[in-house]
Amino acid sequence: MRYSYMPGCSLLSTARGYDTSARAVIRELGSELVELEDWNCCGANAIESVSYLLSVALPARNLALAELSNRELVTSCSSCFLNLFKVNHRLQREPPLRGRLEEILAAAGLRYSGKCRVRHLLDVIANDIGVQAVANRVERNLSGLKVVPYYGCQTVRPYGEYDGPYLPTSMDRLIEAVGAVPFPYLWKTRCCGGILMTTEKAIGMSLVSELLAAAQGADCIVTVCPMCQMNLDAYQREISVQLGVRIHMPVLFLTQLLGLAFGLSERELLLDQNIVPVSGLLRQLQTV
Amino acid sequence: MAEKTFNLTRDMLDHTFADLVTPDREKLLTCIQCGTCTASCPTAYAMDYTPRQLWRLIQLGLKEEVLTSNSFWLCTACYLCTLRCLRGIACTETMSTLKRMAVSMGMEKLSSSARFYEAFRDTVRRHGRLHEVELMATFFGRAKRLGAMGYTRLGFTLWRKGKVSLDASAVNIRGLDQIEAIYRKVEELEAKP
Ligand code: SF4
Ligand code: SF4
Repeated sequence: MRYSYMPGCSLLSTARGYDTSARAVIRELGSELVELEDWNCCGANAIESVSYLLSVALPARNLALAELSNRELVTSCSSCFLNLFKVNHRLQREPPLRGRLEEILAAAGLRYSGKCRVRHLLDVIANDIGVQAVANRVERNLSGLKVVPYYGCQTVRPYGEYDGPYLPTSMDRLIEAVGAVPFPYLWKTRCCGGILMTTEKAIGMSLVSELLAAAQGADCIVTVCPMCQMNLDAYQREISVQLGVRIHMPVLFLTQLLGLAFGLSERELLLDQNIVPVSGLLRQLQTV
Repeated sequence: MAEKTFNLTRDMLDHTFADLVTPDREKLLTCIQCGTCTASCPTAYAMDYTPRQLWRLIQLGLKEEVLTSNSFWLCTACYLCTLRCLRGIACTETMSTLKRMAVSMGMEKLSSSARFYEAFRDTVRRHGRLHEVELMATFFGRAKRLGAMGYTRLGFTLWRKGKVSLDASAVNIRGLDQIEAIYRKVEELEAKP
């Protein structure tokens, strides 16, 4: 299957490893991500806090561009996913919005019907490609590896479009499909604090500390959101100092884990860009 | 949560308030104060008023008390309250509206968040995409925030790992004129009463 693909801003910078591994893994699975040409920022969590109309219009430009290709639009960022999905949802629920959006897009020479289907990369892998196809592609034994499936909030909320909004299971099933063990983790969809890590750091730090503490005993965490990955990965040294215990928990993108199972190299998955080193994890893989 | 007593006077109450902050006033009025939203909220512990308390203040029309609180600034839009509210109240959306209203009335308590969102908006207007280094520089400049040093260290780590580039124009999209047209039109529509 071919999809239009919008990586989102973070995947061009801090989450480059996600973009690279996502493209590689989807290729290995026989599908194709065709990058949407000239996509723009969808507004993340920030724009709705300054302008309601802008929070609809920015993602709508991408949908207008994607609609021209007749393909479904896939994004790997949970925040992009929610913003894009919400445009369609709101157009259906809030009739006056349609006219206003039409007027805004027309000013940019664009139009959008409201019909482009929006998908999260996790949904595509788990439900289109499927667990069996993923299992069939495995070349490297990950058995015994204990992996926390951390979904974060906006991956499945509020709509729960393709998985349960409280306790989703799609990532768990993919972890099992590659032979690893999903670590029992009740805080799968607990929020990582998002931008609070920047604006109100003490609160962000406490949320992330709790998530990391609950993950102790696992070998690594996997996520499908660049914001979650950054928050969980980048502050572990500081948190260790604060808590007085050493926290060392590699945080991978789901596609990096799948890529490892498919026998892709560390380089092909940009694993060297993760902040908490994954070298210990890789050594562990060689011995299982 | 400590109790707070109000000496209510009529001019403290604004009965149009609920209409302005939530997409469905009738629904907000059906809040039964069960506290499920608060129990779901990862940041309620740090809020001046918990989500449940905030809805009650809105019902009463205590506009200034609500808008000058830190509560909605700590909302991360995790949507758990919205999902769980048995009355179907659009809690998260209401939190976003409160952020916009507090800024437009100059009442924001946690100005760091407000400055962050504005810096984000302006960066996207300039480039069509987010440039994280420019965003952080603008944010720490405008928020006059200590703590920039901590982020400089993190920024250095990210740069060394090859994760961020310093050249903001590298992220520019070709359709910047379309982005500008969208921003202008939105400003025009939002300026109308
Ligand atoms: S969960 Fe809904 S009904 Fe219960 S207190 Fe919160 S807003 Fe009110
Ligand atoms: S959406 Fe906001 S108010 Fe609701 S539970 Fe999450 S952080 Fe709290």
